[in-house]
Amino acid sequence: MNEMTDPTVIGQRTPRVDGEYKLTGRAGYTGELHVEDMLYGYPVPATIAHGVLTSLDVDAARGMPGVVDILHHRRVPKLYRSPNSMGHGDQVSEIRLPFEDERIHYHGQYVALVVAETFDQARAAAHAVVARYRQEDDARPSLLLTDAEGDLLEEEGDSRGDPDAAFERAAVTLDETYCIEAESHLQMEMHATLAEWRGKRLIVHESTQGVVYQRNALARTFDLPQEDVEVISHYIGSGFGNKLFMWPHAIATAAAAQLVGRPVKTVLPRQQDMLTAGNRPASRQRIRLGAERDGTLTSIRHDSTTETSTVDRYVDSCGGATPSAYACDNVAISQRILPVNHGTPCPMRAPGEVSGVYALEAAIDELAIALAMDPVELRLHNYAQHDPQSGLPWSSKQLDKCLRSAADRFGWSQRDPGIGAMRDGDEIIGYGMASATWSAGRQPCEARVELRADGSVFAACGTQDIGTGTYTIVAQTAAELTGVPVERVDVKLGESSLPAGPLSGGSMTTATTLPAVAAAVRDAVDALKEIVTKPEGAFAGVDPDALQVRDGGLASEDKHISFAELLAMHDVASVNGKGQAAPGGEQEEYSFRSFGAHFVEVRWDPGISRLRVSRVVSSIDVGRAINPLAARNQVEGAIVMGIGMGILEKLEYDPRDARLMNSNASDYRVAVHADMPEVVDVELLDYPDFRFNEFGARGIGEIGLTGVGPAIANAVHHATGKRFRTLPITVDKLVEALG
Amino acid sequence: MKDYSEHSPDATVPVHLTLNGEPVSVDVTPNAILLDVLREQLQLGGTKKGCDHGQCGACTVHVDGIAMNSCLRLAVMCEGQEVTTIEGLAEADGRLHPVQQAFLERDAYQCGYCTPGQIMSATAMLDDERIASDDAAVREAMSGNICRCGAYRNILAAIQDARQQMQGADPARSDLASEVRS
Repeated sequence: MNEMTDPTVIGQRTPRVDGEYKLTGRAGYTGELHVEDMLYGYPVPATIAHGVLTSLDVDAARGMPGVVDILHHRRVPKLYRSPNSMGHGDQVSEIRLPFEDERIHYHGQYVALVVAETFDQARAAAHAVVARYRQEDDARPSLLLTDAEGDLLEEEGDSRGDPDAAFERAAVTLDETYCIEAESHLQMEMHATLAEWRGKRLIVHESTQGVVYQRNALARTFDLPQEDVEVISHYIGSGFGNKLFMWPHAIATAAAAQLVGRPVKTVLPRQQDMLTAGNRPASRQRIRLGAERDGTLTSIRHDSTTETSTVDRYVDSCGGATPSAYACDNVAISQRILPVNHGTPCPMRAPGEVSGVYALEAAIDELAIALAMDPVELRLHNYAQHDPQSGLPWSSKQLDKCLRSAADRFGWSQRDPGIGAMRDGDEIIGYGMASATWSAGRQPCEARVELRADGSVFAACGTQDIGTGTYTIVAQTAAELTGVPVERVDVKLGESSLPAGPLSGGSMTTATTLPAVAAAVRDAVDALKEIVTKPEGAFAGVDPDALQVRDGGLASEDKHISFAELLAMHDVASVNGKGQAAPGGEQEEYSFRSFGAHFVEVRWDPGISRLRVSRVVSSIDVGRAINPLAARNQVEGAIVMGIGMGILEKLEYDPRDARLMNSNASDYRVAVHADMPEVVDVELLDYPDFRFNEFGARGIGEIGLTGVGPAIANAVHHATGKRFRTLPITVDKLVEALG
Repeated sequence: MKDYSEHSPDATVPVHLTLNGEPVSVDVTPNAILLDVLREQLQLGGTKKGCDHGQCGACTVHVDGIAMNSCLRLAVMCEGQEVTTIEGLAEADGRLHPVQQAFLERDAYQCGYCTPGQIMSATAMLDDERIASDDAAVREAMSGNICRCGAYRNILAAIQDARQQMQGADPARSDLASEVRS
């Protein structure tokens, strides 16, 4: 029996259970926490990107009011590098420890951390630290400013068939290179750490997408038993990937707290956050396509290069979605990385695949034009009915419905494909579309649930809510399975001491967490049944399996008693349920992926050189949306970020010395209210994927971003006749190309 | 505003203001920023720091009824003024302000970090007769408040709902955010 075929709470639009805290300022994000005797940390960033720290004069700063200590490479407690293993859960964002040596690898690398009584004092003293450098002149400023090829990663490559030979034989071919500039996550809350030592125990409040990973990594770094480290993160001002794994500021802050014997709080200034705490690396991707005249794809080659730093090897695998994208017998992908003098890149929303989908879907658009085919038809013509990479059937794939439904609502059939053929007053209108996709992943997870005598339900899991709505969907799950109202469910997340839960990343949290919560609910119900069916129990003599859970209580054929009453009758405060869940044999039987389609209208006004996105119509297939209110919001927000990727966002590194030139929220441009298209029409298809998990949900954080960039680029081509193959398509590029 | 030009930068001076309706005296250094005084000295964390440069709007508060970036304002400038933060917006009995309530119902946020600033800007804007009520005018007026989660569509819908609510009408389910396809 599947209890989730006709749910009453799951799948309902549900206001966030943590909403009032966020709306009234009481939520308590890391940077605004206070503990007794707390000091403030303020890092001193390197002002060069490549060279050596030749001297560091901290004497003047040390003597300033309120300054308690200054950490640097000659004054730092013994630290160890984390083993940095995904498998063992101690992955970090940057393997180099803070203050390891005098080598400077990137602009903003910490050369010191000032610790003072107040924030103002720490900042003032940080500005008074005098660092001198020997800058070296062979800094590498960006992948896109060099012809260097980078290092080929054999393990990231894949192929089937003979794509080279098929390309040579193909009637129609395309061979183009697509680039995306480096991007900043620019999550609204900067990274923040509050570290406190209680004896040999380390308690860290961190704005993180992974309390368990950071707990493990801190234990390795400070050579502590894992049990003596606690990481807490109740509210997170988002992260989009740059808070998945620990960064050096957290280590520096905990080290400072250890050195001075008092709690220390460090909130990265925005500039330092952008310099040191992750970015989406620039990518350069060569796509080669071969096709028959009727549009049948015969060869796909996708060769990608992305940036990493000189202190770590981050791989933003672009080609991941390509082998499964189209029914094509001959496919090859490859991946290279090139070290540059930037802070270490890290995953950013739909990491790798969003870049790869851009290149592939822009190339498919170019191929459609070469074939004089409608780009929607070309995609449907090469539709992958099963996963051509694994050979397995899809668990559920509704991409064809997405393409047709979104095309219909958009009015694609009214498109005049001629370049610049559609006008509205002074504006030239361009239509573009692209497919969206993101893998559906799931991890092992544990959870704990209590049924309490006050009638409430308590649910706990060591995962996080980064704004996606995890608190709410956990509450919905417990409510669905107990019949207790959502508002009577207390959810605790974001503590590493809770049952081990997943990273908030990869769109895996929902599918990972909810089955474990469900198992814990059932275990708690079993614990209650065990009590009440004892000889002295309220349901004495009743077969536990015959007792139904209904409306917040247990029901036999002749009576219903609430959990609260039952617990009170037996003088029990609560029953406890433990649950765990993990992916199983279904992984050998099916391929799991989410799909979607974006249709975009842009308007180009050549008279005033203005390009804007005026309309986005999307259909998204993610299985079931647990909370459609928050799920639509995720997709709409991803579309906004996609507009940034398409026409606005670019980290600009000085070509001479690799220093980041726009490390602030103004010069790095993101979409604001006024950039919103007049129409954003998101449809969530409702095809629950019960082969993936009992809730039928595949996760929704990333998919909305994939496909937006190429849909915009394709629309710009339709409007202007110019094929821009580097994102973002900024106004200066349009003016240069179009006059 | 008093003249502190001869004052030592390390010494503190008292500032008297009305904060969320209550009289408050706080000793601050002359260069202390209102945002930092609110968050660190007065431990009112609802006002957020997102950039410290007046670029993101997360720190928006009302000073004598006008929305301001508190990161661009010295605390000493607030002598004798009324400062309202997100903590002071709901009713004393906990009832949410109509804008807060509309944000809840419209899911006009995700991570919630820009939300206090969005709400403080929106409440001031709704009181500002110079700003027209159409969607485009609201988008323009709200563009000093970045929401990186991109909940702009729901924020706009929430503001327009609250406008209706505050005018005593039923919340107009504008075509912008009313359709539910789930």
